[in-house]
Amino acid sequence: MIKKSIWIYHLNTGGCNGCDIEIIDVLTPFHDAERLGVKLVGSPRHADVILLTGPITRQSMEKAINAITAAPDPKFIVAIGSCACGGGIWYDSYATVGGIEAFYKILRERGVKPPKVIYVPGCPPRPEAILHALAYFKGLASKKIKKRVFVEK
Amino acid sequence: MSRFTLLKKAKEIGVITERYPYKPTKVPEGFRGKPEIDPEKCIGCCACIAACPPNALTSLDENGYRVIRIFYGRCIFCGRCVDVCPEKAIRMTEEFELTADDHEELVQEVRLKLVRCSVCGRYYDTERHYRMILKEFEEAGLKVDPEVLRRCPEHRMGMSAEVIGLRRVRK
Repeated sequence: MIKKSIWIYHLNTGGCNGCDIEIIDVLTPFHDAERLGVKLVGSPRHADVILLTGPITRQSMEKAINAITAAPDPKFIVAIGSCACGGGIWYDSYATVGGIEAFYKILRERGVKPPKVIYVPGCPPRPEAILHALAYFKGLASKKIKKRVFVEK
Repeated sequence: MSRFTLLKKAKEIGVITERYPYKPTKVPEGFRGKPEIDPEKCIGCCACIAACPPNALTSLDENGYRVIRIFYGRCIFCGRCVDVCPEKAIRMTEEFELTADDHEELVQEVRLKLVRCSVCGRYYDTERHYRMILKEFEEAGLKVDPEVLRRCPEHRMGMSAEVIGLRRVRK
């Protein structure tokens, strides 16, 4: 999907910091995401990919929208953890938006074009799972999951 | 202390970086990965749905089928569904590479046939659950008329234990 080195911006939207610690793990010498060209940057203006964690609380929503609109096109979002992917255990709480799907609905209402999202479920996901998503961007790994439906005859 | 102490140490330890995206990795013992429903074993009792803390497991009765749906995007991998499943139909696999483009890809659905009430004709239970209850009565040594169990709980309520036949068979 991206041919050049991926520069990532780490955006926590009110998570418990479990996923954030796993992201830091990815950047340590043991997993070493930098050998795939991944670099952590301090500003969304430099980023290709935004690593979004947390269920997007109402307090952090405005800031998250600011950060996402600040990133230059083409941009991608990687939703890391159960909270970001589907709202997690707080999916119906009044204090959170409830995951990336509901957040994208709000973005569309405001006239912001939502970037493409890659889901990485897990609570928290293993560092290898995050590496797998980053390798998927580079075309080094393939998807291993698909929808399965069983109908009793 | 020589200038090359650090280099010597580095050579002694070697490379610790794992080669993950190029080579597969191992998960520790007892790792809880993606929970999977075995559709051949599931009876549609919905015990897992009551136990699921984030409601990643949901059920829906439509068109004569009970749809058991698990959405991995909301699953917190706690393994409670595995603990409560009476048929051991759910198990935690060791899969963790759940990268997906669309949230519909993170879904497993099991559609089980429902049975109709013999009085009012509405769907009330899955066929597999009905058969399991019959079998359990037999194993407990209780004689029960299968037609009684074909009624929905509402129409079963008015009947006494005697009519239903919940009497222990004397040997």
